Amino acid sequence: MIKYILNRLFHSTLVMFTISFIVFFIMFKAGDPVELMLPADATQQDVIDMRVALGLDKSFIVQYKNFLINVSHGDLGNSFIYGQPALDIVFERMPATMELAVLAMILSILIGIPLGIISSIKPNSFLSRIIMFFSLAGISVPVFWTGMILVLIFSVIYGVLPSSGRGEVYLFTSAFTWDGIRHLIMPVATLTVFQLALILRLTRTGMMEVLMQDYIKLAAAKGVPRRVIVYYHALKNTLIPLITIIGIQFGQLVAFTIVTETIFAWPGSGKLIIDSIQNLDRPIVVAYLLIISFIFVAINFVVDVLYTFVDPRVRV
Amino acid sequence: MKKIIVGLATAALLCTAGNAETLKVGLASGALSMDPYAHNETATNSILSNLFDALISFDKDIKTHPGLAVSWTNPEPTVWVMKLREGVTFHNGNKFNADDVVFSFDRIKNWDKSGFKGKVSAIVSVEKVDEYTVKFVTTKPFPVFLRKLTYVGILDKETLEGKTDQWIGLNPIGTGPYKLTSWSKGDHIKMDAHPNYWRGKGKFDKVIFRPLTNNATRVAAILSNEVDIINRVPVVDVNRVKKNDKLNFFVQPGLRLIYLQMDQDRDGTKWIKSHDGKNPFKDIRVRRALYYGINEDAIIKYVMKSFAKPAAQLSPSAVFGHDESIKRVAFDPEKAKALLAEAGYPDGFEVQLDAPNNRYINDSQIAQAVASSLAKIGIKVKVNATPKSTFFKAVRQRDLGFFLIGWASSDGDASSVLDGVGHSTDNDKGYGRYNKGGFGNAKADALIEKSAGMMDPAERLKALQEAQRIIMVEEQGFIPLHYQVDIYASSKNITFVPRTDSRIWVYDIK
Repeated sequence: MIKYILNRLFHSTLVMFTISFIVFFIMFKAGDPVELMLPADATQQDVIDMRVALGLDKSFIVQYKNFLINVSHGDLGNSFIYGQPALDIVFERMPATMELAVLAMILSILIGIPLGIISSIKPNSFLSRIIMFFSLAGISVPVFWTGMILVLIFSVIYGVLPSSGRGEVYLFTSAFTWDGIRHLIMPVATLTVFQLALILRLTRTGMMEVLMQDYIKLAAAKGVPRRVIVYYHALKNTLIPLITIIGIQFGQLVAFTIVTETIFAWPGSGKLIIDSIQNLDRPIVVAYLLIISFIFVAINFVVDVLYTFVDPRVRV
Repeated sequence: MKKIIVGLATAALLCTAGNAETLKVGLASGALSMDPYAHNETATNSILSNLFDALISFDKDIKTHPGLAVSWTNPEPTVWVMKLREGVTFHNGNKFNADDVVFSFDRIKNWDKSGFKGKVSAIVSVEKVDEYTVKFVTTKPFPVFLRKLTYVGILDKETLEGKTDQWIGLNPIGTGPYKLTSWSKGDHIKMDAHPNYWRGKGKFDKVIFRPLTNNATRVAAILSNEVDIINRVPVVDVNRVKKNDKLNFFVQPGLRLIYLQMDQDRDGTKWIKSHDGKNPFKDIRVRRALYYGINEDAIIKYVMKSFAKPAAQLSPSAVFGHDESIKRVAFDPEKAKALLAEAGYPDGFEVQLDAPNNRYINDSQIAQAVASSLAKIGIKVKVNATPKSTFFKAVRQRDLGFFLIGWASSDGDASSVLDGVGHSTDNDKGYGRYNKGGFGNAKADALIEKSAGMMDPAERLKALQEAQRIIMVEEQGFIPLHYQVDIYASSKNITFVPRTDSRIWVYDIK
């Protein structure tokens, strides 16, 4: 196990090193942030001064070398635009994104898996059909549309929920205050709709497949109660592909909540990264992508470990 | 029963009073820093103007008024002596005096990351004469001195000395009507009224600025009563806002011109293809043909949904140096075709039009409309719309031949656009940094340079207008399109008056 973890750690470092190089190179090629930062009445000398101040006058190799030296001291540089340490800025925004992603994922799992099971046991019942209809809608409707419609109904027409912003924050999250929860409802619902529908459909398909297998019939013939067959024997085998998908989807949620964040003016990291790419704010883009790739690597690790619990045949 | 009614009425009154004390503002973009010298950018300037005062202040029509300076004399053409306001305190209680002014100018001029060097480049030195008097020396007679000073928010020397850039970027200590209480980046900026503000305490005890960058979100916030003012009402939602009887709607002409630049001094570039291999833009008849051939009325009506003002020169009417007598020519495709034929291009030519697609209101759509207009007079225009980071890189390197760009005369004086765009490029003297079409006219250059030292406003106005006339009428160096307008919506519970400089100055909102 320790050898496995060390191996994974080595691979992850390599991945993140490569990512930093690629991002650094793309941002270097993309243009000159100084030109966007200075007003039109700045002189040529002001432009040169600013470039020197930000270290942008040096060659690519020297800039990347300096970056690596600073990283080895835990310093990812200061944002060109905001003037603050890039890591601080990203970490300041990360909790807002994480709370949306975590809550949406938990809700999707808690609702999606049971509904998926229900609709797989009696696929032709009225209830199953209704569930399937809504899951189809959930998977097809674009996120920005769901968000806008929620805002229209609950904020503009009925005025019961705030249309945007994060509300009162306590201990890095708004989930502990009433004002915060009111602000969370719509963005979390918007993100949940798609994930919920996806998990529900995957659970259903997986269950229906497993329920037709011989060992299920054997268990039924031996008189094992239906409940045990469904919730123990069948579900356990359905979970393996589901865990993989949930892992990938969680990474997606963290990295791509941008649409939801924009609609609800949610101060998460997705909006930060889009602004930073437009402003060519390289330190932020690099810091953000390194953190996100670290999260992906970590999720994959957790997923691999979870496999071993669900399926004893899998060994790490 | 009566008691209950009275009680309810009082409660209701108290409630409205309570609401009126907090002003919530929804903005299309937030502040980049709390350091007033870091970015000369409208959205940041707008928010910070509530925290900092300058020696001179602009009113809503960008006329200059005394700010932290009460009076000034100009004993020699290059010397200004300013008397400072006494009894002014910073948010932290420190006294404002001449040391703060000297410190602030030193920092804005010499800090390597200052975004405002261009505003103060003509100021050579700032000296303290006594506790409440400062003396400025400028490189040359400097008629726009007072206007430039409006951009220098005064910092507190005692607090800031020895602090890092990072600290200053998070801790704005000014003398302004409001002081920062919290800044949650991307979510809100909260301010409290400065109790000892020298003009008297502001009407609102608290102000919350919220960046609502998504258009639909911003509109939803004002329709659901969550904010009291929004700026940049998107044109598609104008009718929804107008129909709402709880909201007021404002259209305010702004300072930004959208115009076209043409390469006029290079031949055989890859962006311009003509039958004779020459650069048609060198011929004034071709440049005029473009001016006549672009249907700006249609652009304003269909692309801008009537929210723009047609332009005929480099600066709008609120700006000193605007010439009322320069009028836009009527759209006349026949005349445009005739001019092209006369110049030797009866069948037109091919050209690439570069434009940003995320910098100005509807920028890439405007470029498309220009292209379809010009197609009708025989000029084949290929639009190349790119993100601003790519676009401005190409502009800087003159890596384009025909492009759409904007300029805001934010000083309220035409000198900035004439220096930066109208004058031929001269890096040593600092002229023409944004003149990337290679336009140049010796007479206009001389006028611009001479006007920079004219202290008599009437004489100077004449020189600026004359330069505009040469550049925009006689030489047709650029093709003006339109001036942008600012659109606001505000709750009827408050009295909001929009400003020409696009700032939201809470102190004036009642």
